[in-house]
Amino acid sequence: MTEAAAPEGQPYDPRILVFSTNNISDPGIDLAGSSHMHYSPRVMVINLPCTSAVKPGWIVYAMEQGFDGVFIAADGEECAYLPDCAQRTSGIMQTAQDLLVEKGFEPQRVRMAAICSVCAEPFTKYMHEYATALSGLGPSRKATS
Amino acid sequence: MSAPKKYDALVVGSGIGGMESALKLGDMGYKVLIVEKEPSVGGKMILLSKVFPTLDCASCISTPKMGATIHHPNIDVLTYAEVEGIRGDGDGGYHAKIKQKAKFVDEAACTGCRQCEMACNVAVPDEYNADMVSRRAAFIAFPQAVPKKAVISREGVSPCTYECPAGIKAHGYVARVRSGQYDQAFDLVLETTPLVGSLGRACYAPCEGECTRGELEGPLPIRRLKRFIADRRYGQAAGSASETNGGGAAAGTLEKPEQNGKKVAVVGSGPAGLTAAWQLARKGYGVKIFEAAPQAGGMLRLGIPAYRLPNDVIDDDIRNVTAIGVEIETDARVGDVAALKDDGFDAVLMATGTHKAVSLRVPGEALDGIQSALTFLADVKLGKTVDLAGKQVLVVGGGNVAIDAARTARRLGAAAVHQASLECCEDMPAHDFEVEEAKAEGITLHDGWGVNHFTGSGRVQSAELKVCSCVFNPEGKFAPEYDESKKQTVACDVVIIAAGMGADTEAFGLETNGNRTLKADPGTLQTSVPHVFAAGDVVTGPTMITTAVGQGRRAAFMIDRYLTGAALDIGAFDEHLPVADKSNVLARQDVYDRREPLESHAAMSASPTDFNETEATLTEDEAFLGAARCLDCGICSECHACVDACPADAIKLDMQPQEIEVDVDAVVLATGFRLFPADAKPEYGYGRFKNVITGMQMDRLLAPTRPFNAVVRPGDGKVPDRIGFIMCTGSRDAQVGNPLCSRICCMYSVKHNQLIMGALPLADVTVHYMDVRAVGKGYDEFYQQAKDMGSMFIKGRVAKITEKDDGDLVVRYEDIEGDGGIVEAEYDMVVLAVGVQPNTEAAKLFEDGALGLDEYFYVGEADEDLDPGRTNMPGVFVAGSASGVKDIPDSILHAGAAVAQAAAHIEKARVANGTVTPEAAKVEVTA
Repeated sequence: MTEAAAPEGQPYDPRILVFSTNNISDPGIDLAGSSHMHYSPRVMVINLPCTSAVKPGWIVYAMEQGFDGVFIAADGEECAYLPDCAQRTSGIMQTAQDLLVEKGFEPQRVRMAAICSVCAEPFTKYMHEYATALSGLGPSRKATS
Repeated sequence: MSAPKKYDALVVGSGIGGMESALKLGDMGYKVLIVEKEPSVGGKMILLSKVFPTLDCASCISTPKMGATIHHPNIDVLTYAEVEGIRGDGDGGYHAKIKQKAKFVDEAACTGCRQCEMACNVAVPDEYNADMVSRRAAFIAFPQAVPKKAVISREGVSPCTYECPAGIKAHGYVARVRSGQYDQAFDLVLETTPLVGSLGRACYAPCEGECTRGELEGPLPIRRLKRFIADRRYGQAAGSASETNGGGAAAGTLEKPEQNGKKVAVVGSGPAGLTAAWQLARKGYGVKIFEAAPQAGGMLRLGIPAYRLPNDVIDDDIRNVTAIGVEIETDARVGDVAALKDDGFDAVLMATGTHKAVSLRVPGEALDGIQSALTFLADVKLGKTVDLAGKQVLVVGGGNVAIDAARTARRLGAAAVHQASLECCEDMPAHDFEVEEAKAEGITLHDGWGVNHFTGSGRVQSAELKVCSCVFNPEGKFAPEYDESKKQTVACDVVIIAAGMGADTEAFGLETNGNRTLKADPGTLQTSVPHVFAAGDVVTGPTMITTAVGQGRRAAFMIDRYLTGAALDIGAFDEHLPVADKSNVLARQDVYDRREPLESHAAMSASPTDFNETEATLTEDEAFLGAARCLDCGICSECHACVDACPADAIKLDMQPQEIEVDVDAVVLATGFRLFPADAKPEYGYGRFKNVITGMQMDRLLAPTRPFNAVVRPGDGKVPDRIGFIMCTGSRDAQVGNPLCSRICCMYSVKHNQLIMGALPLADVTVHYMDVRAVGKGYDEFYQQAKDMGSMFIKGRVAKITEKDDGDLVVRYEDIEGDGGIVEAEYDMVVLAVGVQPNTEAAKLFEDGALGLDEYFYVGEADEDLDPGRTNMPGVFVAGSASGVKDIPDSILHAGAAVAQAAAHIEKARVANGTVTPEAAKVEVTA
C-alpha cells in the first residue's frame, strides 16, 4: 500500500488513515460504502476491537509512512468492552499530539470523533471536512515531497 | 459425544429482551448461553429506523448492546441455532437440545469482508429488509450484524443436481452461465468429469426431468447449456491453440497435478474409465488406460453416431484427460488382470463396458447380411466404408441403440429403413423424442412386432414378423408372448440387430454375476480381488453415460481411499444435503411470470444424407435466457463462486449441522413476537397491491440502512406525495381472531409520520385510526407533535382499498367525525400499521402442554399483576414481548424483572443442592 503522496499534476489530496471499531464505527463506515456515499478513495480504514488499543506511536508511524492525517472513529460511551474507552482514547490522543509535535508534525494531524453503527453520513462529512483541513496544512512529509 | 456443557442459564432469543436478560445475568456473574435462530443477534430492534418517543436511532443504540452481548466474558452466543427441546432433568434443572444449523462458513476464518456476497449469483428476498429487495444466498444479514460473519442459505440440494447420477452440479453451472461465467461453468463440470462436450450432446438429461420449472412452462435446457459451455471453451481453445500440442481443446489450460508415486491401471476408456482416470490423475496418481478398440472413448466412440456426438468432441474431451498426464494405450486388450499388478500398478479399475451383442435366437440369424448394431455403429463411426445405397434395411429392436442404427442406416443411403420393436411405440425403451426424430427421418416403425424367422439362400432376403402381444411377464421379466396368427413379411437386404448387449468378462478371471457382469460391491465397487475395482456398465449392465460417469467417480474415490489406507466408507462419497422440496420452491412466490422454454433446434430432414449434427449449439442469448429461468431450488447453487472468491478459504460447503446439549439451572424465554401477516386482511390488498406496505416495511424505508436510500413506493419507485396509514390492522379485530390492542402501532405510526415529514417535507400524511393510544411518558406529546407537524388524523375504520391503473390506491371509509357518509380518499402509498401476534414457537420447546400459555397464546405468567416474568414451570422465566406485547423500554424492564427471579432461582438451586453456599456461589464479575 505504498503510493505517491500526491498524484503528479493533480491537486493535493490528503491520505487519511482511520482506526475504527469492529462493532460500532466500522459497520457505520461500511454502510457508507454499501450506500454508495462518496468519500475520498485515499481514506484507508483499519478496524480494531476498541480504539483504546491505539498506540500513540502508530500515529507518528502513519505520518512517516506517508499518511497526512489519522482519524480515530471512536465508540463514544457505548463500547462493548470498556465503559471509559472514549476517555482512554482521548488520553491517547493527547499523548499522540505531543509526540507529533516532538517529531515536527502539526498536532491537527490526528483527530477523533464518535461514529455510531449507522453514522454513514456523518462519517463522510467528517472525511470531507478533515480532508479540507489537512489540505490547508499540506502534505505531512514536507521535506521529502 | 462429550458430556453436556453446564450453564447457569439459557436465554432463548436475542432480541432486546433476550440480550438484556443475558447481559444482566452475565453481569451478576452467571454463566449464560444465549441461542439465536438468525445469523446475527439483535432481533427486530436492530432493523427499526428510530425508537419512539425520543427518535433515537435504533441501530445506534442496539449495536452496543449486541457487541456487549457477544463479547461478554460470561455469555456464550450461538447464532443461526435453534433450541429443539427443553426437558426437566428431574433435579430442578433443565436439559436443552440445540441444533446449530450449518453456516457453511468457517466462522473463525471469516473476516466479514463480503467478497462471497459479491461473488454469489443467487438472489433471494431479503428478510432483513422486509422482503423489499433481494439479498444473496451467501450473505451477511445487515451491515451492523454481530457477529459480522457470512452465512450461506441452503435449502437442500437442487433437484437437478440431486438427480444427476454422475454427481454434476447442474444448478451450479446453470447459475454460472446466467452470470456469463462460461469458463467457470466448464470448470465446475470438470470437477466431476472430463466429458463436458460428450454429455452436453448425448446425455439423456435426467436433471431436466426433475427441473422444478418443468412444473411451470417446461424445464431448463440444462443439457444444452452444458453443450454451450463446452463448445465455447473448445472453440476458443481451437482458435488460440497453436502452442498446445494436438491443437484445440481446453487441455492447454489444465495444470498437471503433482505425482504421488502410485500407479493405477484403468481397463476401458469409456465414460466410467475416463472419468475415473481423470479423478485419479487429479489426485496425483499415475494412470494408464488400456483400450481394446483402435480409438479411445468406449461407447461414446463406438456406439453413438456422429450426428449425435461427433468424433472431434470426443477427442476434445479425451484431451482433457491426457493433458493432466493420463496415458492411453489403444488396441490393448487386457487378458490377465492379475498380471497388471506385476507391471507395477497398485490398483486396477475394470471399466470395460458391455460390448457383446445379444443374439435374437431365431431361425436364419446366421444368414449373410445380418449383423449386430454394435458392429455396424462402430464400423461407421470409425470410418470404415459401409455402403447401404439402395438397400432395404431392417433394424430389430426398440431401444436407443436400435434407433441410432436405423438413423445411421438412413444416412448411408438405404432405400428404406424398417424398424421392428416388440414394444408398442409408447412403451419402447428408446426416448420418445428419439422415436419422433426417427419417424421424421423417414423410418418405418413396426411397433409391437417380433421376428419369427429370416429367410434367404446364403444371404438374407426377407424377415417374417409376428405380433408381440406382451413383452414382460407379470414379474417384470423379459418373456415375450406372440400372437402367431398375425404375421407379415418384410423384404430386406440388410438386417441390423439391436437386441441388447452384455458384458464380455470371461478373459479376466474375476468373479461374475449370472449375466456375466463383474461382481463388485455396489457401494465400494471393489471386486473379490481387493486391489481390483470395477465400474460402469460392466458392473451395472447397460445404462446411461451419466450413470457410468458416476460409477467412475465412485470407483476413483474408493481406489484413492484404498491406496491411502483409509476405510472404504460408502457414506463418505458424495455426502450431501437432502433434496430441496419442489412444492416449497414453488410456494416461495405467489405468481410466476411465464418464461417460454427454448425450442428444440433439431433440424430434421426426411431423408438425411450426412452425419452433421442435427442440433445446433445455443447462442449466447439463448443460453442466458435459458439459464435465467432457473428457480434456484436449493437456494445455494453450489457453483463455488464464493469458494473461489473467499480470501480466507472459509467456505465449507460440506459443513453439517451439529447437535449441542447443555444442562442449565434456569431458562429465560425471550422468543419475542410476530407481526400480523397483512395478507390475512384481503380487503386491504397487501400482497396484491404493490404500494400497500406494512409498518415494518415503512420502518425499513426510513432506517439508516434503508434499501433504496430514499422513501419511495415499491410499485414503481415513485416518491409518494400522499401517504395513508391504516391503524389497527390485525389488532382489536375479532374477525382475525385478535381482540388485543397491539400497543406499539399507534406510536410507531406517529414516529413514521414525523420521519416522513423529515424525509419528504412536501408529502401529505393521513392516519385512519380507531383511537390513538399514547400511554407512556412523553407519548401523548409525541402524538401532538405529529399533529402539529401536519399529520391528518381521521377517525373511522377503513372498509376497503382498491388499486387504480397507475398504482394509486383508493381508500374507502366512513367519516364518523366529520360530515358523515362513505368517503373515498386517494393515496400514492398506504401503510398498514400491522399488529402483534404471539410467537407460539415458545410452547414447542417443551413437551406437549408443559408450558402454560395465556388465552391469547402468549407465554403465560404465573400472575401478570403480581408475579410477572414467571411461568408455570419452576425455573423457566419469560422476558419481553414473548408474554405479551411491549415496547422497547418495557421489554427491557420486564427482562430485568425476569432475570432477577431467574438469579434467585439459580441461587436457591445451588443452596438446595448443598454443594455451594450462597457466598461461595458468587462468581467474580469481570469487565
